[in-house]
Amino acid sequence: MRVLVVEDEKKTASFIRKALQAEGFAVDVCHNGAEALAAPGATPYDAIVLDIMLPGRDGLSVLRQWRQQRNSTPVLLLSARGEVNERVEGLDAGADDYLPKPFALAELSARVRALTRRGAENKSPVLSVADLTLDTVTHRAQRGGREIDLSAREYRLLEFLMRSAGRLCGRMMILEKVWDYDFDPGSNLVDVYIKRLREKVDAGFEPKLIHTARGTGYVLKEAP
Amino acid sequence: MTIRTRMTLWYSAGLLLSILVIGVLALDELYEPKGPSAQYSQGMQDYVGIVLWIGIPTVILSLGGGWWLMRKCLAPVSTLTEAAKRVTEHNLDTALPRTGNGDELDQLTAVLNAMTERLHQSFTRVRNFTLAASHELKTPLTILCAETETELHDESLAPAQRERFASRLDELHRLARIVDGLTLLAKADAGLVTLTLKPIRFDELVRDSFADLQVLAQASGLRVELAACEPVAVQGDAHRLRQLLLNLADNAVKYNQPGGFIRMALRRRGDAAEFTLANTGSGIAPEALPRVFDRFFRGDPAHGHEVDGCGLGLSIAQWIASAHHGLLRLESVPLQLTTATLRLPFPRGEA
Repeated sequence: MRVLVVEDEKKTASFIRKALQAEGFAVDVCHNGAEALAAPGATPYDAIVLDIMLPGRDGLSVLRQWRQQRNSTPVLLLSARGEVNERVEGLDAGADDYLPKPFALAELSARVRALTRRGAENKSPVLSVADLTLDTVTHRAQRGGREIDLSAREYRLLEFLMRSAGRLCGRMMILEKVWDYDFDPGSNLVDVYIKRLREKVDAGFEPKLIHTARGTGYVLKEAP
Repeated sequence: MTIRTRMTLWYSAGLLLSILVIGVLALDELYEPKGPSAQYSQGMQDYVGIVLWIGIPTVILSLGGGWWLMRKCLAPVSTLTEAAKRVTEHNLDTALPRTGNGDELDQLTAVLNAMTERLHQSFTRVRNFTLAASHELKTPLTILCAETETELHDESLAPAQRERFASRLDELHRLARIVDGLTLLAKADAGLVTLTLKPIRFDELVRDSFADLQVLAQASGLRVELAACEPVAVQGDAHRLRQLLLNLADNAVKYNQPGGFIRMALRRRGDAAEFTLANTGSGIAPEALPRVFDRFFRGDPAHGHEVDGCGLGLSIAQWIASAHHGLLRLESVPLQLTTATLRLPFPRGEA
């Protein structure tokens, strides 16, 4: 899997490169828009991480140009501007995902990973991890044959965690997918919900399935 | 007393006085030196008749005319007053209307316009500074966050070290939220944020928010109640309204007391939807109340840092409310009940 990183700030680019390499990606780095414009034509990429603020030519116009050239490589936009409209603007320009700075590296890697396996996502109506099963049609959850009673929000949270089982789910990602928030509310909402979910899913069962990645998010997996 | 009334009064007093003086002089000139006393008393009657039937109507007419004249002269002042009343920090770039005839008032308007223009430039400089500062802060913040995170995931870390890095990362995230909030407000001040208002069912957002509130409150041992949730549709931006509701709900939990309660309600009130969120807790002192929406304002300095927050939540909430042409206000009876009220007007024609 090869990823292109377009980021003018050298230090940030280097962090992103290291984080993605640690995930097993081959990474190329571009430092400006003009250079980036030609890159996906020369080498096929599985995903592109694109900063919006670039010297010379900004990320959004580079992205529009790629899309006009019928290049459909999944793009994760990075933004330092944190503007309300920017997310919408970015998605309109053809981005597949959007991450405002500062971001957690683990979250960035998780999102890039999600982009590269888009389409290969588990679409089965019944999700299962260890002895936990979730029927996405009837919304019923069971662990070890025992029924788990979930509120609507808890169900969405568990479904999201199970669909991305084994992968880290960043706090922002959870807020986006489960609550449809596009901002960091500075509330401990996610942690409180995870705590409740743990009481229902993990209390009295072994192995524990919901794990905390301190400072970044949560992951649902069998092994600790 | 307005200038107009004062000038009209002076004018009419002058008018009356001159009519009397002219009358007395005329009487003196016409009758006194010539005739006997019978003629004199006849003249006196004539004089009273003239004053009554011609003088008084003249005075009334002149008064009316004077009033009209003053009104016409001072109309530009009223226009100027009305226009100046509408000037706030958000529309300093709109100049006051000038008549262009070069009179004193026109000159005054020009001077006022030059003054607001200088103010506008200062405001713009402050805004641009905040915008640039928050942008410049993001790059080092991104690097710091990434570095701390990388160190945190180092397997060889001792638990105590790990805890220290984790706490540092938490603080960095808080800093990032402050910078985000500042950027948002600086952009909003500069009119760079446009919300896309679409018809939405506000009661559905309130119900969602109540579900979250229940969970947040339960974790803190508080009782919650949804007193009313009438179906209402408003023109709104669902993301921003959710942000506002969560912010209020979060505050109601954070600033509560052990064993306290929270009551949420959504009702139709005339031409607006009225959302209220009341909570127990120490509340806000009356002198602090007018400042709660100020950026970085902490109601109680002694407890300001006990509760985690970025200090911009209510400022952002108020901006969201006004961007929806709505109104957010807070009332508080210390140690009893603090109530946040949000009024969102119904779309025109649907009241």
